[in-house]
Formats: sequence, structure tokens, C-alpha cells
Amino acid sequence: MELLNNILYDTVYHSTPIILCVIGGMFAYKANVLNIALEGMMLNGAFVATLVMFFTGSLPLAILLSIVTTLIYGLVFSVMGITYKGNVIVVGLAINLIAPAIAGFVMKMMETANINLTNVNIANFKINIPFVKDIPIIGSILSGHPPITYLAFIGIAAFSVLMYKTKFGIYVRVVGENEDSAKSLGIKTNFYKYAAVLIGAFCCALAGVNLSVERLGLYTNDMTAGRGFIAIAAIYCGQGRPVLSSLYAILFGVARALAVNLSIYAGPAAGLFDIIPYIIMVTVLAVVSIVKYKNVKVRGFKNEL
Amino acid sequence: MNKKGNILRNVINSVLPILLAFVIGGIVIACIGENPLETYWILLKKSFLTSTGFMNTLHYASPLILTGLAIAVTFKANLYNMGVEGQMLLGGFFAGIAGAYITGMNPLVHKLICFAVGILCGMAFALIPALLKAKCKVNEMVVTLMLNYAMAKALEFLSTGVFRDLSSGYVATPTIQESAMFSRFGRSRLTMFFVIAIIVLIIMYIVMKKSKLGYELTAIGKNPEFAEAAGMNVAKKTIILMLISGALSGIAGAGYMMSEQFKYTLSFSGTPGLGWDGMLIALLGGHSPGGILIAAIFYAALKTGSDNINMYTSVPKEIVALIQGLIILFLAVKFISERTNFSFRKKSAKKREGAA
Amino acid sequence: MSMIEVVDLTKKFGDFTANDKISLSVEEQEIKCIVGENGAGKSTLMNMLYGLLQPTSGKILIRGKEVQMNSPIDAIANGIGMVHQHFKLVPSLTVYENILLGVEIKKGKSPFVDAKTEIEKVQKLIDEYHFELNPLDKIEDISVGGRQRVEILKMLYRNVDILILDEPTAVLTPQEVDDLMVSLKNMKKQGKTIIVITHKLREVMELSDSVTVIKQGKVIGHVKTKDTNESELAQMMVGRNVVLTVSNERKEPISDEVIYEVKNLCTINDYGKEVVSDLSFKVHKGEILGVAGVEGNGQSELVKLMTGLMESTKGTITFLGKDITNQWPAQLRKEGVGIIPEDRYAQGLCGDMNISENCIAGYHGNADVCKRGIFDQKAIKAKRDHFIEEFDIRIGDLNGNVSSLSGGNAQKIIVARELSAGPKLLIACQPTRGVDIGSIEFIHKQILKFRDEGNAVILVSSELSEILSLSDNMIVMYKGKISGRVSQNEVTTASIGLLMAGIQPEKKEAAHE
Repeated sequence: MELLNNILYDTVYHSTPIILCVIGGMFAYKANVLNIALEGMMLNGAFVATLVMFFTGSLPLAILLSIVTTLIYGLVFSVMGITYKGNVIVVGLAINLIAPAIAGFVMKMMETANINLTNVNIANFKINIPFVKDIPIIGSILSGHPPITYLAFIGIAAFSVLMYKTKFGIYVRVVGENEDSAKSLGIKTNFYKYAAVLIGAFCCALAGVNLSVERLGLYTNDMTAGRGFIAIAAIYCGQGRPVLSSLYAILFGVARALAVNLSIYAGPAAGLFDIIPYIIMVTVLAVVSIVKYKNVKVRGFKNEL
Repeated sequence: MNKKGNILRNVINSVLPILLAFVIGGIVIACIGENPLETYWILLKKSFLTSTGFMNTLHYASPLILTGLAIAVTFKANLYNMGVEGQMLLGGFFAGIAGAYITGMNPLVHKLICFAVGILCGMAFALIPALLKAKCKVNEMVVTLMLNYAMAKALEFLSTGVFRDLSSGYVATPTIQESAMFSRFGRSRLTMFFVIAIIVLIIMYIVMKKSKLGYELTAIGKNPEFAEAAGMNVAKKTIILMLISGALSGIAGAGYMMSEQFKYTLSFSGTPGLGWDGMLIALLGGHSPGGILIAAIFYAALKTGSDNINMYTSVPKEIVALIQGLIILFLAVKFISERTNFSFRKKSAKKREGAA
Repeated sequence: MSMIEVVDLTKKFGDFTANDKISLSVEEQEIKCIVGENGAGKSTLMNMLYGLLQPTSGKILIRGKEVQMNSPIDAIANGIGMVHQHFKLVPSLTVYENILLGVEIKKGKSPFVDAKTEIEKVQKLIDEYHFELNPLDKIEDISVGGRQRVEILKMLYRNVDILILDEPTAVLTPQEVDDLMVSLKNMKKQGKTIIVITHKLREVMELSDSVTVIKQGKVIGHVKTKDTNESELAQMMVGRNVVLTVSNERKEPISDEVIYEVKNLCTINDYGKEVVSDLSFKVHKGEILGVAGVEGNGQSELVKLMTGLMESTKGTITFLGKDITNQWPAQLRKEGVGIIPEDRYAQGLCGDMNISENCIAGYHGNADVCKRGIFDQKAIKAKRDHFIEEFDIRIGDLNGNVSSLSGGNAQKIIVARELSAGPKLLIACQPTRGVDIGSIEFIHKQILKFRDEGNAVILVSSELSEILSLSDNMIVMYKGKISGRVSQNEVTTASIGLLMAGIQPEKKEAAHE
């Protein structure tokens, strides 16, 4: 029972940053801008939040600066990739390299290998919901998580509405599906692409705050560990649909939770459990792709970019 | 279009990003109270202007030439193979295992075995995304990005477990036998591995510029639909190109193991890693072998120089990683358009529209 | 006062002048046709009127007032709407969502879209113009004609009084063309001014009040429709007395020997719908088989199946007695099938590669240019020079890219490449689309010569005149099936038109036209 509770709790715990990246990144996906900089943006969010927290101890300021700086990355991405029509994959990659480089540079100046928030007690971030927390199973899913976790799950619903029920959402999808059509009606396509990328940056910043300050009170330069790419895989699998893509993110959370909790029993092979979530995502990608293309009789590949 | 203009344009498009990146890097250095010009001068002097320094630069360029080629051969065909890092790690790891556990060998044969192991491992790891792409049309970029993490974890597991050298104070595999080590030229770190890298470079030059496969990969990169219609069987070629990329990464990893690292540690490839460096080099070199050679030497100079920056100034050597990222960022944008005949393209597009 | 007046309008793309001092005027409640060959500059002109392109010099007056239009929004504000040849619709959205795209109605001040009111408004509009549409259907589920009606409504909803239609009939069946003409005349009665761009003269005569002819970016003349006739317009368009100079005069009868046979061929599209169903036909030695039909009735997929770019779900293809079903393009070429693909710049040529590289595409593995995987550059250059001479390809820069060539010269590279390899069968798809008259004549002659040498040709074209003048026998495709087979000596434009609409001859009561 204890094990089951832990697995469920960890599932929510590990799904959160990926869900945030997914719901942020799907707008760019729908707007036909491949944003692989989610990883770097999340890392920057984590770094700046921890850094500000370390020096000021003010959480609101940490979150604010984390968001602002990550939005700057979003702007850089947009300017280079959308306005100047650079190769977005290369731009994304550059951001994924620059973010840890800056963090590494600053940490070297601080003469430290990672930032440890000794002034923060992460237990204080956890919201324990009265009564609910005592219900078995449900309690560990619903209660005892930090605020951004709740925000992430609310975000799935909120962003579904934004995507499908508002003018903004329709326009983002139109821009991605038929840019000519959007242009011919005078829709400012670049504006919607910028907005889509910036929403992604915003969510990545939150994911970063969650990952570093809220959960661990710690920043290390490899802490995102490919979560941004997993989010991209989840978005691909769910074809940018908010709920479906989030479910794939949760699937990763489940795999991770299982790996963490079961590795205790695995002895020396425990190290291998870390691989499982990645392998599962690759398998899911393959299955989704096979289903998607099952009727396609045309040979060869279309140019995706 | 005249050829001279083309070359000039390419040079400007490569040099301008570098300059911009160095200017920004310089501003950062100035901000922490150091003299950027002095820092850059140390960087330049130590890696180019002394004979040992220059030979060290060539030494560090060797694996970079190979990973650069590994990236170029796929990127040029619009295959975003991000798995070079993982392919290189796996190749290096098992070359190291073969180098350590096989004993009493003729040095030449031993090295050949290690290269063979490295090549096979690199190819095997590249085959997974290749098959997924060719058979199921799975996006190769997402797959390779994720498999890199899986590979790093798997190798961590192997080096902390089965293959751990218990006599070492940190996580490492046993040191390779002397018969698998390349010997150094003089006081520098340069070894035969550089010559091997150059030979591979020449072979790849012929493959990419003169051969049928090179023609096909260019066509696939420029227009996959045309390539398919011209009978190039894009799916099959995808697998072949990925395998070549895997083999090149494998040689890079194995050579780096036998000429520099001698054992696998968790920081085998450094930060951001030889595979990622290869990406910068391929982009900087415009995916052409000649360009890759120049870019690899340039970047290796940065790397050798960065150690000296650390030694002689208080600038952290992470500045080089930052400059690298900035170069890639600026390389994404073509400052001078590749197509001077843009208006013509518009015109032909118009004609097609009118025709349909 | 004229509704629209254009004075000395010029548009240049680099060195190329697409429109050269064009002047014309359109009266209120008039249907004006602008005709010209492909590439004459009609689309450029219309794009300037719609704000998509900005003129290099000259002015546009609307209701006597000079206007400056920087985007389609300005055009719509000036009462100009455009229905593009390639519809600018979003397939996954519904009819009403597409019509209200950009002018959504919101629930009060909230950011949410008021779907109910939107649907009502669109339904009202549909009723007003007697269109056949359901506002709730998704665009991807409705017919091409339906999509065009959505495009027209999109403009009417925005209260435009000038409607520009760019090649509106290119993708329609003859029946749908008739419906469109009725609709357009109806709209004219309701006070709209309409400009139609086309190169189909029959439609011009039936529909318009006045005509402007454009050639090579210049106005050739303005005429009232009632004062002219088809052949006069054709002469103005091409600047010669004849439209098609080549006619099919065969010297010997078609042999009985079957070269190519398709049997019960089927395939499905990405959505699993059968788009080629149970096709069977034979091609004999010395025969040109024409495949006619309105675009989008499975010809494209048939060509892909025959050229190895698509896999069949059922059926066989036999060539010279050998089963070649689902073979890849490289094998097909080796067997002796020459291929002129449908889309020149997508499948036939690589615009970003140079001329010699394009001259060997598809045959680049052959021993004459490639030994042990390495190219013989001298042989390749010799081949290119040979093509340029024999096929009269006009080239500015010998080492330049193919994208710098005109449509006709680019197409000649493909023809040269495919015919020089010595095939026994040529699959020619839209061989003269977007090609100048001179090149059309040249390519047609090459095809006939190839046939006369004892080979077979499958000619797929949406230009009916091309099919009629070249083919010995014809099949007509409708909804993925063969709706009729006719031979050259028994066919008329009218009878083939019916087949293209899927109407069998025995039901013939009122012939089209």
C-alpha cells in the first residue's frame, strides 16, 4: 500500500514539469513552429529561480525573474527563427546550449558546482488539503503537492479552452495549418507564432521553478535531463491536442515513478531503470506513427520543415 | 550565379556569426572585469602560435572532424540525427572495453579491433532511429534526442557496475592496454589518430562531392519528393546515411578513447560533448568536408585555448561554451541570402500557379 | 464612372517584369474576363488588386479614388474580395468557422467565440445566394465545388462589391462549372462587379460582358464580348493564328502487341478512401493513350501508381510481359519506362541543383555517367551539352540552377532526359503545363515522334485540347474509375465532357454546351 501510494504520488510529481512543457509547447506545435528549445528554456527557468531565491530568498521575485528571463529566450527564438527565418531546429539547439553555458559560467563565478538553497524548506511549499489527504490512494494523488503542480493540471483544462474556444486558439491553429489563408485574411501570422512560442517559454519557466525551487531546493546543470525533449515527444504523440498530449506526459510520469520506486527492489540493476521511461516514449512514438501512417500508400517523405 | 560570389557569401555567412559571438563574449568578459582582448589573445597564442599548442589543437580537432562529418552526412540530407553524441559515447565505451580486456595483442591489430568495435557500436545505435524513420516514419530528431539520454544512463550503469575499475577512486572503466594506445608525436598530444581522421575526411570528401551517394544525399536534402521520383529510394538511403553517420561517430569515440582518454569516465566527452561540438562544426563548415576541417581546427583551438584562459586569467572557461552556443544561434540565420536569384524563384512559382 | 481603374501598373521581380504598364477599367455590375496564357501575368495583376503584392509603379483607382493597398485587409475595406485558385481554407475547421475567420463574433466582451450566432448568420447568407452548403460541415469533407462556394461566401460576408475569381473553373467538373456561371450571373444581378481570370475561352464567351487580353505582362487589347469570338481571342492570346499546331497524323495502324497493361488496379488515400478503383486498360505498341478527366478524379494517384511513387492495394501492372506492380522508380526506368512527372518542380527537377545534375536524375546510376559509384564529370557535362543542343534548351548560365530556367526550358530538360534513355513506354503527365507555345509544339512533336518509332505513350493531362489532339485512344476518369473509353475518330468535345462529369453516353439527353 505504501508502495502504491508512493508510485501514485511520484507519478503526479514527475508528470508536472513535462505537462507544463507540453501545454506550453503545443501552441508552437499547432502554429507549425518546431520549438525544441523547451529544454533550454526550462533549464533557464530553474536556474534563474534558484539563483534569485539563493540571493534574495523572495519566492515571488524568483518566479517573476525566472519567467521574464525565459520569455527573453522565447523572444530570441522568435526573432531568429520567425522574423529572420533561421532554421528553428538550429536556433532551438543553440538555446539549449546557451542556457546551461550561462548557468555554468555564473556558477563558476560563484565557485560552486550547484546551487543549494539552504534558506528554503521545500516541505513548506506542499499544500496538504484537509480531509482529502487522509483518503487512501486519492489522497496521495490530490494532496501534498507544491502549488505549480496544481497549476499544471488546471492548465490542461484552461489551455484546452484557450486552444479550442477562443479566437486566439483558432488563429494559432489556422496559422499552423494554412498560413496563406491566415495571411489572405490579414491575420498577423508572425504575431501568433510569437505568442505561441512565448506561451511555451512562460510554461517552461514554471516547469523550471517547479523542478528546482519547489521540489528540491537545488539547481544542477543537468537537472532537466531531457524532459523538454520528452515533452516534444508527448506533443508529437498527442498531435498537439492538450488532453491527449498531457496523457502521454503522465505516461512518462508513471514510467518514471515506477522506475524510481521499483529500483529499490532491483539491487544492482537499479541503474538500468532510469532508461525505461525513455525507451517507453520511443516505443510510444513508434506505435503512434505506425497508426498515423497506416493508410499512407504514397512512397517517400515530405519535407517536414 | 558566379562561383566567386558564392564563396564570398559563404565566408561572410560563416565569419559574421563568429565575430558577433566573440563580441558578445567580449562584453561578458569585460563585465566581470577582465580584458577581453587579452583573453582572446591568450586563446589565440596558446593554440596557434606555438608549435606544441598548434599540434595540440590538431589533436583535439581529430574527433571533431569525425563528429562534424557524422552530423553533416545526415543534416545535409535533412535528417536531423541528434544521436551522434550517443553513437560516439557507445563506440568509445566499447572500444575502451576491448582495449582494456583484450591483452597480449599486436598493437596494430589491437587498435584495429578497437576501431572495429567502435564502428559497429556506433552503427548499431544509429540503426534504431534509422529503421524507425525508414519503416515507420518516426521523427528521427525526437527519437535520437531521447536515446542520447537513455544511452548516457546505460553507460553510467555499465561503468559503475560490471566494468568498474575498482582500483580507481572515481567511476571509470579500466585503463586500456598499452597496445591500444596511440603514441604521441614529440611533446605535443598529437597522435596518428589525426592522420586517420584526415584520411576519413578525404574519403568522405570523395563520397560527398564525387559519388553517386553524395549526389543522392544532396538531392534528398534539397527536395525529397524529387529524390524519390528520381529513383533514389529515400527510405533505404536514410538507413545507409544513418549507418555512415554511426560509423563515423564510432571512429571518433574509439579514436578519442585510444588517443586521449584511455578509459571511460562519466565526463568522457566533456561539456557540451563531442557530438554537440560536431553539430557546430558541421553548421560552421556548411556541411562540406573542407569547411568542416577548418571549422574543427578553429573549434579545437577554442578548446585548447580555453584551458589556458583558465590558467592565465580569472575568466571561467565556460565562456567558450557560451560563445559556441552564440555562434550556433547566429549561424541559424543567413545574413546574406543564399539565393540571389530569389526573384526568379518567385517568377517560376508564379508560373506554376498560373498553370495549375 | 468605372468601378476599378488601373493606370500604367507595373510589377517587377528583380529583372523580370511580370506586369508592364497595364491599364484597364471595369464598369459597375459588369463581368470582366481577363484572359491570357499561363505565365502571362494575370495572377500578378490580381494579386496587386488584392493587396498581396505592391506595384512597382502605376496606380489603382477604385470608384475614381486612388488607393494604396498594402494587404488584403485594405482590399476588403475597399470592397474587393478574391477567390484564389488554390483555396485558402483551413481543412480541419467547419464551413462557418472558415467564413468568419478573422471576423469572429464574440460573446459580449469575453474572449469566447459565439458559435450559435455565427452559424445563424452564415445560414442566412447561404439562403440568400441559394448555395448548397451546410455551415457545420468540415472543409475536408466537402467537394471542391463546395469549397469554392465557401470561398465566395467568405468574401460576400465581408460585404465586398467587387469579386475577383482566379481560374475558378480549373478544378470543377463541367456540371459544377455550369452552376458557378449561374451563381456568378446571379450575383451580378444583385449588384456585384465580377472579374474572372481564365484562359478558357469558351467560358469567357458565355459569361463575360467584356474581355481584356494579356500577353507577356502587357495588355494586348480590350474587347466587348459581343463583338468578338473565340478564335479572335485565341489569336490575341498567343499572337499567332493557331493554337495547336501539332496534330496526330499516324502513318500506320496501331499494332496488336500489348506493351503495358493495368489490371484491376486499386489504391487508397491517407484517409483510407479508395481513390483509384478497379482500373484496367491496355496500351499497344505505337499507341498514345490519353487519360482525360477533371483534376482530382484519381489521375494523380494513377500516375503515382504507374511511376512507382505509390503502392497499390490490389491489381497488377504488366510491362512487356513482366509483372512490375509496385516496383520502385529506379527499377521502372531500368525496365524501360520513361517518366514525365506531374509536378515539374516537385518531382521532375530539383530547382536548387544545377542543370547537369538535373540532366542525370533518375539515370545517375547508369554506367555511362557513374563507374563504381563515382561520377564521371566529363561524361555528365557531355550529356548536358548534348541535351541542350538536341532539344534546343535555352540557357543563360550553363552552371546555373534549374530554378533560373523558364518553364518551357525546364520541361525540355525532363523530356530530353527521359527520351534519351531509350524507353519503350513514356508516361507523360501534364507535359506542357505552364509551358510557352513554342515549347508546347516542340514537346508534342517529340511525343509523336517517339510514338512513331514504335513505342507506347500514356498521356495524362487536364488540358482537354492536348488529349484530343495527340491521343489515339482515350480513357476518361471520374471518381477513381474509368467512366468511358473513346477513340480519336469517334470523339467530340461534347461527348468527352459528359464522360468527365461521370454521365454515360446512353443517358445523353442534353449535351453540354
